[in-house]
Amino acid sequence: MSEFSSTKGVSPDSSIPHTTYDIRHTHSLIRTIALSKSYFNDGLETPVLFDINLTIEKGEFVSIMGPSGSGKSTLMHILGFLDSHTTGEFLFQGEPTGNLDEDALAKIRATRVSFVFQAFNLLPRTTVFDNVLLPLLYHPSIRTSQREERTRKAIETVGLTDRSTYLSSQLSGGQKQRVAIARALVTDPDIIFADEPTGNLDSHSGIAVMEALQALHRSGHTIILVTHELSTARHAQRIIQLKDGRIESDSREFDRVIAGTDDERLP
Amino acid sequence: MYFRDTLQSAFKGVSANALRSLLTMLGIIIGVGSVVLMSAVGASMQRVILGQISSLGAKSMVIFPGQQQGGPNSVSTGHDSLTFDDVDRLKLLSTITTVAPVVFIQGRTSEGSQDESPRVFGVPPEFFENQKIVSQEGRLLDAQDQQGATFNAVIAPDARDKLFGSVDPLGKRIKIANNHYTVVGVTRALGSQFFQNVDDRIYVPLSVARTVTGQKYANYITMQSTSLASDVAIDDVTFLLRRLHGINNPANDPKKDNFVVRSSAQANQILGGVSLGLTLFITTVAAISLLVGGIGIMNIMLVSVTERTREIGLRKAVGAKRRDILLQFLLESLLLTFLGGCIGLLFGIGLAFIAAAIVTKLLSTYHFVVSVPSTISALLMAGVTGLVFGISPARRAAALSPIEALRYE
Repeated sequence: MSEFSSTKGVSPDSSIPHTTYDIRHTHSLIRTIALSKSYFNDGLETPVLFDINLTIEKGEFVSIMGPSGSGKSTLMHILGFLDSHTTGEFLFQGEPTGNLDEDALAKIRATRVSFVFQAFNLLPRTTVFDNVLLPLLYHPSIRTSQREERTRKAIETVGLTDRSTYLSSQLSGGQKQRVAIARALVTDPDIIFADEPTGNLDSHSGIAVMEALQALHRSGHTIILVTHELSTARHAQRIIQLKDGRIESDSREFDRVIAGTDDERLP
Repeated sequence: MYFRDTLQSAFKGVSANALRSLLTMLGIIIGVGSVVLMSAVGASMQRVILGQISSLGAKSMVIFPGQQQGGPNSVSTGHDSLTFDDVDRLKLLSTITTVAPVVFIQGRTSEGSQDESPRVFGVPPEFFENQKIVSQEGRLLDAQDQQGATFNAVIAPDARDKLFGSVDPLGKRIKIANNHYTVVGVTRALGSQFFQNVDDRIYVPLSVARTVTGQKYANYITMQSTSLASDVAIDDVTFLLRRLHGINNPANDPKKDNFVVRSSAQANQILGGVSLGLTLFITTVAAISLLVGGIGIMNIMLVSVTERTREIGLRKAVGAKRRDILLQFLLESLLLTFLGGCIGLLFGIGLAFIAAAIVTKLLSTYHFVVSVPSTISALLMAGVTGLVFGISPARRAAALSPIEALRYE
């Protein structure tokens, strides 16, 4: 269970030189300052992330890359309000997030962020339509009358309109992941997190999913992709490499892959 | 999240695994069903007995000979303690009226080739008044029959059917234990009183019965109290009979007496005690079966929470609050108990209806009554069961961390 430790939210003034962190007023979408995360088990501290300083602007397509155990999933969970950090600061649109209670975090998850998981996580024995509609049930401000229209549009965006009434178990892996993408879109969140979205898919389906994500990015969405494969990470504009809980590199200088074009076409 | 949406999610949760849900509900179905069935049968029996008591009238009283044995509700007969001297002295009491002793005549009764053994009662005319017996055809026995010791008989409808079939019995002769009697009347059907069929009797004058049997005692005595306060009449009768029988019993020990006095009011009280016992019994059965049903529901809900850990994680990841999950799983338990309760209710009413139909065939008097208070309380108890046993699994589901729930394999 998430515990909100009182040690987080340490003022940068006390531990970090001023010169590096004097641009808080610019209100980046995501900004972390000396963020760290440890897990505590039976009083034993297991540090996972150290001194993460990161800024992500609205409209970016960022890959967080690293081998397993590098802390990339933990970072995604913290940035996606599924988990809390231990020390340092995490500013979301300029607002500190350290003191949010469980309900406030749930509200942010309902309205501002969404997720695409490696294992799809669709509800079994439930239609495509109802799966996509699910987040709207928990959205505090989208009216009941708008639900169907929004759901239809999201399904249309991923090209599965003709599968709306299918049960999730009747779909292929690639189709399932596109349903998950539609579900992530339906609340029109500020950020879409994709955690190894192609990990359970064959190459063809993987390409289709990356195409969908790149299309979303072109239409203005902010996407944070977590992956351990460079070939997948290269679909983003920017690659942040994590190693052993620290940022090893943060680069925009690489050959970007556009999904479905010649440089990726399969034999 | 709107309540309607939560309810819909809960309904989907229950219907997604219909067979398992049904099996889970079985405890509740049986619990509620048995309560409804038993309380319906109990209420119907009570209605029947009350009807029989009130058909005799609230002032009706009976004295049986012999000692009270076993429980307070059992009476041993066959003793000769009630003499006709007692009867004459009883008639002098101001608190009672219409004292009517009964003498049984043993032996075969026949009409032509028909040979039956109805019970033959030697009774004075007051007996008919005490038992609310009226004539259907002909007349009842009167004071002239009694005084003249005429060999006349009045027969009840079942006895008439057995002896005469569809032939008109009036004026016909029947033979009872070597004597011939003329049928002067047929009584109206009364059904059963205290589960004894009173329609297969034959009545002859008491004077005749005393003569042919030579019996010096009454088999029992019927009478009525002059006021509704039958306790006073019971005390008077008891006091008188103890004095006449030479019984010294200041402690009111029923084992020392050689007679038992009963009144309709007393029977009412006994019935009250019986129905209280029945209510307690039903409540115990309900509590036990609902407890078992509740444990079954908790068990399945815990399995369900474990099975659906990833679903819970997903719901939390897309914004479900703790109370949304809590409410969804609580509503699932409530829905299981509520549906189980409703199915049990229908089963119980159906079985009670069948039971009523069977008893009506056997006893020819039975009312079909569903006890509304028992039914409502059974449903309420089922609901409380759902709430009590659903809260723990629901809290467990609500407390899951989204990340751990999503990672759950």
